[in-house]
Amino acid sequence: MLESLKSELEKALDRAVGLGASYADIRFQRYDYELIEVENRALKSYSSRRLSGVGVRVVIEGGVGFASTSDLSQRGIGNALDNAVRAAKALGDRGRALKVGEVNESEVTLRVKTDPFNVSPEEKVSLALDANKAAWTGDEIKSVVTRLGLSKDYRLFISSEGGEVAVETSLVGLWHQTVARVNGVMEMVGDAESLCSGFEFLKSKDWNAFTADISRLAIEAAGSRTPPPGTYPAVVDPEVVGLMLHEAFGHASEGDYVYTGESVLSNRLGDQLASDLVTIIDEGVVEGGYFFPFDDEGVRKGRTVIVEKGVLKGYIHDRNSAHQFGVESTGNGRAQDFENIPVVRQTNYYMEPGDHGFEELVEDIDFGIYLRGRGSRGGQVSIGMGTFTFGVGPSKMIRKGELAETVRGVVISGLILETLKTIDAVGKDLKITTSVFGGCGKKNQMVRVGDGGPHIRVRRMTVGGR
Amino acid sequence: MEVAELAVKRALELGATEAEAYVQRAKIIRVGGSEEIEDFNTVESLGIGLRVVLGRRIANYSTSILDEAEVEGAVAKAVKIARVSPEDPDWRRLNRRFGESQAQGYYDDSLEALDYQEVVEALESPLSLVRDYDPRVKPTRVFLTVGVTGVSIANSYGEGCERKETYVVASMRAKAKEGGLESTGSEYQQARSWREIDFEELATKASERAVKFLRARPIPGGRMPVIIRNRIFASILGVLLSGPINADWVQKGASPLSNRLGTQIASEDVHIIDDGVMEGGWGTRPFDDEGHPTQRTPVVEGGILRSFLYDNYTALKEGVESTGNAQRRGYWTTPQPSPSNLILRPGGVSFEEMVAETREGIYVEETIGEWLSNPVSGNLNATVTHGYLVKEGELTEPVKGVVISGNFYSLLKEGIELVGGDLQGSMNYYSPTVKIRQLTIAGK
Repeated sequence: MLESLKSELEKALDRAVGLGASYADIRFQRYDYELIEVENRALKSYSSRRLSGVGVRVVIEGGVGFASTSDLSQRGIGNALDNAVRAAKALGDRGRALKVGEVNESEVTLRVKTDPFNVSPEEKVSLALDANKAAWTGDEIKSVVTRLGLSKDYRLFISSEGGEVAVETSLVGLWHQTVARVNGVMEMVGDAESLCSGFEFLKSKDWNAFTADISRLAIEAAGSRTPPPGTYPAVVDPEVVGLMLHEAFGHASEGDYVYTGESVLSNRLGDQLASDLVTIIDEGVVEGGYFFPFDDEGVRKGRTVIVEKGVLKGYIHDRNSAHQFGVESTGNGRAQDFENIPVVRQTNYYMEPGDHGFEELVEDIDFGIYLRGRGSRGGQVSIGMGTFTFGVGPSKMIRKGELAETVRGVVISGLILETLKTIDAVGKDLKITTSVFGGCGKKNQMVRVGDGGPHIRVRRMTVGGR
Repeated sequence: MEVAELAVKRALELGATEAEAYVQRAKIIRVGGSEEIEDFNTVESLGIGLRVVLGRRIANYSTSILDEAEVEGAVAKAVKIARVSPEDPDWRRLNRRFGESQAQGYYDDSLEALDYQEVVEALESPLSLVRDYDPRVKPTRVFLTVGVTGVSIANSYGEGCERKETYVVASMRAKAKEGGLESTGSEYQQARSWREIDFEELATKASERAVKFLRARPIPGGRMPVIIRNRIFASILGVLLSGPINADWVQKGASPLSNRLGTQIASEDVHIIDDGVMEGGWGTRPFDDEGHPTQRTPVVEGGILRSFLYDNYTALKEGVESTGNAQRRGYWTTPQPSPSNLILRPGGVSFEEMVAETREGIYVEETIGEWLSNPVSGNLNATVTHGYLVKEGELTEPVKGVVISGNFYSLLKEGIELVGGDLQGSMNYYSPTVKIRQLTIAGK
């Protein structure tokens, strides 16, 4: 079926060129997703989804038109092409030019032992049920939800330049959330672990211990106070480092935002923006991250250095922003699915480790806070102002160089360019994670990403709370 | 309708005791750019979501491939998953009450055949307005989405039903620069019809906000009165209340409002209604995603909690009528109770009066991160990106980068001092501007 579809798509590319396109590409995608949700010891839902279709992009006299369809018949593909041509012509010469760069021909499939879609529904349901039951650790527990997520994403890219790249990735994981109530105070803690892998990852972990630990944390948090608002020295764990880098710095390093001047990082190449302990990387294939060897414009995604020893070295680009800056694409052109155009997106964004042990980071702090990502509620930033706000998970106060009481409802905020300068120690550990339950949103598109780093110490962090 | 009915019929033949098919068609146009228009994208999508029931075993399956063979395969797979699923002891049956409410203003047929050229020109006008507004300002992001969707629902009890809806969202972001100072301003508009979008206002508000905030800065922290702009409070209402009034949360024990029905949860002048038939509302439609007619449901009347919001499953579990709040976020998701248009009823105080009555406080015009607030504990947090210090009854210097926080439930009970008359929506949440007696400000 794939071979006959491919020849149909090639014919459409030829037709696009015949209609005046100076460039055209077509992306075919087949995406399978299963989500199993268990709530309070009972299976709540078993959802299975298949999505398939093509997206056609054409450049005509400078105008870039795009159209997609889930109708894979000859007529459906023909209609999409016509719509794309119409859209390109409506734009006139307003469109965005694309950098013509490397032309790749490649086919990469993530190696897995057990295809998650060949595992019986019974086995998946029982894994989720067992993990859910294990989370009932006491009377304080009011509600528990466990989700099992499995996905397989096949993407084929072909272009009128002769590019042809196919990538298949599997991603699986387990998400759990516990609501606990202690002395009339309710608290909700959720966490997930995912990996680009086959079903073997889900079989290899003790999920019962994982969910029981989340319940323990929810009870602990419900019984704790919120920290007094103020500015503290802080030790930040890899999850919060990843979140902060991805949201507050990563987005600002995206070529499209830099080009328009929207980003605080515009015109800052070569500037010392962070303490010299800080090196920041965006990389397509890293342990624990999302598997992304090629982007949705057929460009290889390797390792891109964004910040080296505190100095801003580069931005991330798709073919459009690469054209605007007169550089090569860094392989960061990504689309949520075939229904969307690629835009500049991060892949796996992380800080390189340094040389401090965890105790060394904590011991010099007389009164501060240890910010933890587990149970985090995500964050939001203004890339133009460099402001960020994140709701981190239950955390711990630091008193006289030691971890002290747990605090909940911790919200941090600040200006990223100030925060990065106050990093005075970087840990030697490194943890990068991805998720099958969420991702990163930009311009109404969600893509899977990875982020992380080592533990770090920040001299000044503004902590809100109640 | 054919595909939906075929799927239901096939599921019953394969041994299902009940079946439901939800077919969604969407035609979406997205036009966007930064300093100028750069992208023109169109999407045509079609998909089917199936719910197959064997006794009390349920499975959901969806696919975007709608040829007969794939749909038959999908039904077979769903029946197979249902067979191995454990029983849901709370399952009763699928929705049996089909029908249409008097909802108006959710479909604009002029959006069916928009001329692409006309769309580009319409979006060109606010871009040039921003450029001409002030030499310090330029547009940095512009976005327009036009959606036409069609939904057909069939289940093993009903005749089936169909609806068509339209949506338009337009947004603009501008940036101002002067010397070393920089600031941004954004504005968006949402409507169910094309003519309701005011592109001129979009451009003016974004530009004005950007320029005014060049010299904005944080203020020292403390506790003070806070006036919150209608759309921002609407968004806060959505984040903090949509979960707790969801019958599913209540039944799970995850809602802080469980066991609070009939009790005072807010001050007497607080009235909150879920209005599925509000003319032209973002969440207005004749029937919900299970085919049940939509309605108006008083949620809070005079401060007293009157009702939660139900879909068919949660209603039958409790032995009550569905409130017509079943929602699928896409054909591939399962129905969940969700607000249609959740409205805080306006009062009569004007914005000018609110400011005039404030000796020292802050007016919050734009925030980020309010969705980080915790609906279970009621902890409210938002970072103010655009605000004004109010002094002696007047708006004074612009403020940014402070965090407002407080507890939403205490705020409902004793915190709301004044309720404005200027109702506005943030998606399907609606509120007038309100004045809060006191909130904590974490500042510089």
